[in-house]
Amino acid sequence: MIKIAIAEPSQMLRSGLVSLLRDVPDSEVVFSTDNLNALFSRLPALHADILILNPLLFDYSHRATLRAEFDNYPELRLIGLVTAYLESQQLHQFSGIIELNDDLQRVKSTINQVVNTLQSDSDEPDTDPLSDREKEVLICLSKGLKNNEIADTLNISVHTVITHRKNIVRKTGIKSVAALTVYAILNNLIEEKDII
Amino acid sequence: MKMADAINQYHSLLTVLPRLGIPLGFGEKSVEQLCAEHHVSLTLFTLISRVYIEQDYYPSIEELRQCPMTDILHYLVSSHKDYLEYKLPHIEQHFNTLLDPMDKKYSTLIVNFYKEFKKEMVKHFQYEEEEVFPYMRQMLSENETDNGEHHHKSAFQQQHDDIEDTLNDLTNLLLKYIPAEVSSSERVDMLLDMYALSNDIGKHAMMEDRILLPYIQYLESQSHD
Repeated sequence: MIKIAIAEPSQMLRSGLVSLLRDVPDSEVVFSTDNLNALFSRLPALHADILILNPLLFDYSHRATLRAEFDNYPELRLIGLVTAYLESQQLHQFSGIIELNDDLQRVKSTINQVVNTLQSDSDEPDTDPLSDREKEVLICLSKGLKNNEIADTLNISVHTVITHRKNIVRKTGIKSVAALTVYAILNNLIEEKDII
Repeated sequence: MKMADAINQYHSLLTVLPRLGIPLGFGEKSVEQLCAEHHVSLTLFTLISRVYIEQDYYPSIEELRQCPMTDILHYLVSSHKDYLEYKLPHIEQHFNTLLDPMDKKYSTLIVNFYKEFKKEMVKHFQYEEEEVFPYMRQMLSENETDNGEHHHKSAFQQQHDDIEDTLNDLTNLLLKYIPAEVSSSERVDMLLDMYALSNDIGKHAMMEDRILLPYIQYLESQSHD
């Protein structure tokens, strides 16, 4: 069972998220709060695996280093709940990102990916095939689209595109776009005529 | 140490010998004897061997100064020749047998990818042989006058990272994603060749990064004084 804690100032978002997460199998929301004081007083006893956190709860000067506030919880994975523009340096502290217009499918796959990183940290090899979203990103790459164009086409952030690309490289062991294109054709994800 | 013992223990050194002009069939001769016989500097042989054997070996400038640098350039040029005239054609032969039974549209794709890789490699070697090595030879012979050309260094490094990455991509495609029905013993042979090549090119790159570049920088700093 994956234990999830939520820290988000908006009551509406919190309730929405809690109800979305009911449909994520093997997971349980163990705590949700609108402020950091409550979060940090409860965190030691929660044994949460994942914290879905709105970085705006931290004031600007601490936002870029917020990961350090959780140094006592090395096992805890942070997922950023992004409701406003944030600098990429701030986003990089999170293992995954949930955005306001993500649908349930997307939220589920973000959580699954983060759960997978929990497992891969314990030296489990990553034997998952590419996810549907990763395949979509791969197809766009093969067609020669750039990160920002892929983001527009799939209606996700550039940051998310980059995360997908990292996962694709990690899973396939293939770095170059040219070789990934060969991969995509060999796996019938695209036709050769689509790429020129 | 006996040469045969050294090679038995560290197989990867086998590719180094012909490039230095040391032929096989050396019986019980020692490394020292063979180097003297074939006019190979023992310091150079030791330096190259250590790069091959010790993952974390970064020779000091002192060690490099003891070593005949023009011989290193000569060694690197022979390695290029070895890759292009022997190693790659050998891999291409495997390709022909291996990809023959595959659907044409897939095999062409892989062959084209390989051709791009080879082109990249040829280009990189040319650049080194026509720009970097002559520059270094010039620095070695003059050693006093600085012509102010310092632009080679950074470009030098980036390129062979690309070559190693592409070779690694190609290996993964062949290992993981070519359908299972393709002849497996041929495929295993080919992969073994590719791992060997990739290891050798990795060492080749290390030699350039850990020997050539630091030495060029050293020469440049000397000529400033």
